[in-house]
Amino acid sequence: MLFNSFPFLYFFLPAVAVGYYVVPRHRLRLLLIVGASYYFYAYADWWFPALMAGSTALSYTGGRLLEHPRFAERRRLVLGLGITGVLMLLGYYKYTAFVGGYALSFVHVITQRSFPGLHSFVTSIALPIGISFYTFEGISYMVDVYRGTLRAERDPLRYAFFISFFPHLIAGPIVRYGILQPQLLGKQRFDPDRVRSGLLLFTLGLAKKVLLADALAGWVDHYLATPGSIGLLNAWSSALGFGFQIYFDFSAYSDMALGLARMFGIELPWNFDRPYRSASPTEFWRRWHVTLSTWLRDYLYIPLGGNRKGERRRDVNLFVTMGLGGLWHGASLNFVAWGLYHGGLLAGTHHGSRRGWRMPRVLGVAVTFVLVVLGWVLFRMRSAADIGHLYAGMLGLHGIGGAPGHLIAYVLVSAAIVWGLPEEWRWPVAEWGPVRVAALAVLFVVAAASVYTSHPFIYFRF
Amino acid sequence: MRRLVLFLSLIVVLLVGVAVFDWWIDPFGDIYKPAALTAALNEHPNCLVSEELVGARYFSFKLDLFHRRPTTRFVVGSSRVLRIAAHPGERTFTNLGFPGTAPETILSLFRALPAKPVQTVYLGVEPFWFTPKFTVPVYRPSRTQLAQYLLSRATFQFAVRFARQAHYIFFHRWTRELVGSKCVIGRQSPGIAWNTDGSRTYDYELDPTIPTPRPQYNVAGFEAGAYGNWTSFEGGRLAVLQQALEVAKQRGWHVVGFSPPEPGPLLRWLETDAQVSVRWREFLRRVPALFRAAGDRWVNVWDGQQLGCPASSFPDGFHAGAACSRLVRARLDAAAGPQ
Repeated sequence: MLFNSFPFLYFFLPAVAVGYYVVPRHRLRLLLIVGASYYFYAYADWWFPALMAGSTALSYTGGRLLEHPRFAERRRLVLGLGITGVLMLLGYYKYTAFVGGYALSFVHVITQRSFPGLHSFVTSIALPIGISFYTFEGISYMVDVYRGTLRAERDPLRYAFFISFFPHLIAGPIVRYGILQPQLLGKQRFDPDRVRSGLLLFTLGLAKKVLLADALAGWVDHYLATPGSIGLLNAWSSALGFGFQIYFDFSAYSDMALGLARMFGIELPWNFDRPYRSASPTEFWRRWHVTLSTWLRDYLYIPLGGNRKGERRRDVNLFVTMGLGGLWHGASLNFVAWGLYHGGLLAGTHHGSRRGWRMPRVLGVAVTFVLVVLGWVLFRMRSAADIGHLYAGMLGLHGIGGAPGHLIAYVLVSAAIVWGLPEEWRWPVAEWGPVRVAALAVLFVVAAASVYTSHPFIYFRF
Repeated sequence: MRRLVLFLSLIVVLLVGVAVFDWWIDPFGDIYKPAALTAALNEHPNCLVSEELVGARYFSFKLDLFHRRPTTRFVVGSSRVLRIAAHPGERTFTNLGFPGTAPETILSLFRALPAKPVQTVYLGVEPFWFTPKFTVPVYRPSRTQLAQYLLSRATFQFAVRFARQAHYIFFHRWTRELVGSKCVIGRQSPGIAWNTDGSRTYDYELDPTIPTPRPQYNVAGFEAGAYGNWTSFEGGRLAVLQQALEVAKQRGWHVVGFSPPEPGPLLRWLETDAQVSVRWREFLRRVPALFRAAGDRWVNVWDGQQLGCPASSFPDGFHAGAACSRLVRARLDAAAGPQ
C-alpha cells in the first residue's frame, strides 16, 4: 500500500489512527499496529508478511541467543549465523537474479550452452519491497546487542513492532532499536498537538511527492526515454530534474514516515537535511539518506577499519562501503558504479582536504551539486549505452537542442525550495496558527486529489 | 485541540464539497442519472439520451430501460448489436446491448433481470470475446471506484472547466436540445445518443451536417483490429456463456443466438488468414453447438454479404448500420416466432 494512495489516505490511516487511540491498553495498541502493519505489507503481495515474519524471528532469536549464558563463549558465531540468516533472505530475493544472470551469461560464453529453465527461474524471483530496509534494521539490532550497547528485547511483540511499524517499513528511515525501544515501553497518551504536528508534516510530504516529485518525473521520464536524441539543454535539464525529483521523492517519503509515526507518538530519526546545500561530498552524505549513511559507517566502514589503518586502507574501505551501499540500492552494476563513484568522491575529498584545498562555500556547494548530479546519471539510466548517451548529451555532443520550458520552470522552482527553505521536518509546524493550519488542510485536499496519477516512490524498488 | 479539529474538519468539508460538486457535474458521466431517462421519456415523441449523460454506466442505464418498458423481447450483445431497434410503435422490445459486453456481463445482466415475464432473448455472440487479448471492461464500478472518481483532481478540473463553459449546469444537470430534427437530452455536444428502446443513433444520423463515414477495409486494419493476433480460443469464456444460457433456461426464457454480421472484406480475411481462420472455424463450430446443446436456437447471420448487407452498410467497417440491423432483426424474429 502506498502512502500516496486512496485506500491508505481514506481507509487505512483513519481506521488505524482512531483504533490506536480508542484501544485502552498499551499491549493491545502494539498488537493493533503490528497487525495493521502486516496487513499494510500484505497489500503489496500476500506472501510478503511471511518473509518479514521469518526475518523478524531470525533477528529476534539472534538477539536473545546473544545474551543467553549458554552461548556466552560463542557469541561471535551466533552473531555470524544471525546476520547470515537475514542476509540469505535478502540475497536470495534481491541478488539471485543479478548473480545468476551474470553466472549464466558467463557459462554461456564459455560453453555455448544456455539454460532457459534456470534463467527463467532466477529472473522470476520477485523482490519483496522493503526487504533491504528491515534486513538492515535486524542486523543493526543484533550487532548492537553483540556490542553490548543494547539489551536484547525479550518481548516479541515490541520487537515485531520495531521491524514492521508501517511508517518506516517500506522505505525507511532505517531505525535502530535503541531509538525505538524507549518509546515502546509505555502507553502514548493522545496529544492533539503532537497528532496535529504529525498530520501537518505528513501533508507537507504528501504535497512534495505528488505535486513536485511526480510533476518533475513526468518531464524527466519523457526526455530520458530517448537519451540518444536529446541535446545539451535537455540533457542538463533532465539530469538536474532527476536530481531534484529523487530528492523530493525520497525526502517526501521520509517526511510522511516521520509525520505518521509522530501521530502515533513515535519519533523516528530524520533522513534528509537539504543535502544539495552541502559544500563537499562528505557533507552530502551527512545530509542525504542519513540513516543509511550512518548505518554503513557504523556497521561496515568502521568495522572494516575506517580511517584508523592509514590512508590507502581508508580509501579501500570507502570504496568497499560505498560500492556495497550502491549494491544495496539495487542488484545492478549501475548502482555499484554509482556507489563506487561516491566512494571516489569521498576519498578525493579526504585527499583534497589533507592537501589544504579550500574553496568558498558557495563554490563548494555548486561543485558538489554538479558532482552529485553527474552521479545520478549512473543511478537513473539502466544501461551503459544510455549512461553514455546522457553524458554525451551533457557534453554537448548531441548539439544544443531546444529548451524544455516546463522542465526548466520546475527545476527553478525546485532550486528555490531547496536553497531557500529549510528541510520540512525542521519547520515549526507544531507552533503554526489557524491560518497556516487551514492552508495545509487545503494543500492536503489538493494533494490527496492528485494521488490517482501519482508514481510509486523511487525507493520502493530497494 | 482546536487547531487539530480545524485541520480535520476543514479537510472533511472540502472533500465533501468537492465530491458533491463533482457528483453534480459528473464531467465523465460515471454517475448514472435516471432522471435524464425520465426527461427523455416524458417528451412526445421521446427524446434521445446523449452518451455524455450515460458515460460508462451502460449496465445501469440498460437495466433501468428494461424496467421502464413492458419488455418481453430483448437483444444483448456488444456495440455491434446496438442498431437493432424496436419496430415502430413496438413497446415490448428493448435493446440491452452495450459497448464492452462480454459473457460475464451478460451473465450479470441475466441474473439482475426479473425472471418474469418470460422473455425472448436475442443473444449476439462476438468472435472477439474468444481472443486472448479481449478483456472485460469495468461495467459496474464499485463504491470505492466511484469515491475515487468523485475525489480525483482530474474530475474536479474537468468539472470546473465544464461549469465555466456551461453555466446552466449549476441549476440543471442537462439541457434539451434539437440536433437535426431529433430532440436530445444532453449537455455540451450531444453526439452519439441512445433511443428509449435502447438502440443507438450515431452523430451522423442525428446531425445532417456531419458526413457519413466511409468504411476503409485493409489487411493491416484487420490485423490491428478485434481479431488480430487470435492465437488461441479462450474456452473459459465459453463456459461463462454456458452459465448465462443455463440462467435463461431456468427462467424459461427463449434464447436465439447469433453472431453479428461481418462485412464481406473482413469475412474473407477471417476465412483465409492462416492463423485466424483456424480460430474463426472453431468459433463457428463450438458456439452454435453450445446453443444447440442447451436447447436454444442459433441463427447464422454472420455473413453480411449473404444477409444482404453490402460492405457499404457498415459505416465504420465493423458495426452494422440501421438497414442491415433491420435485416438481422427480421431473421431473429423469424427464428424466434411470435410471442
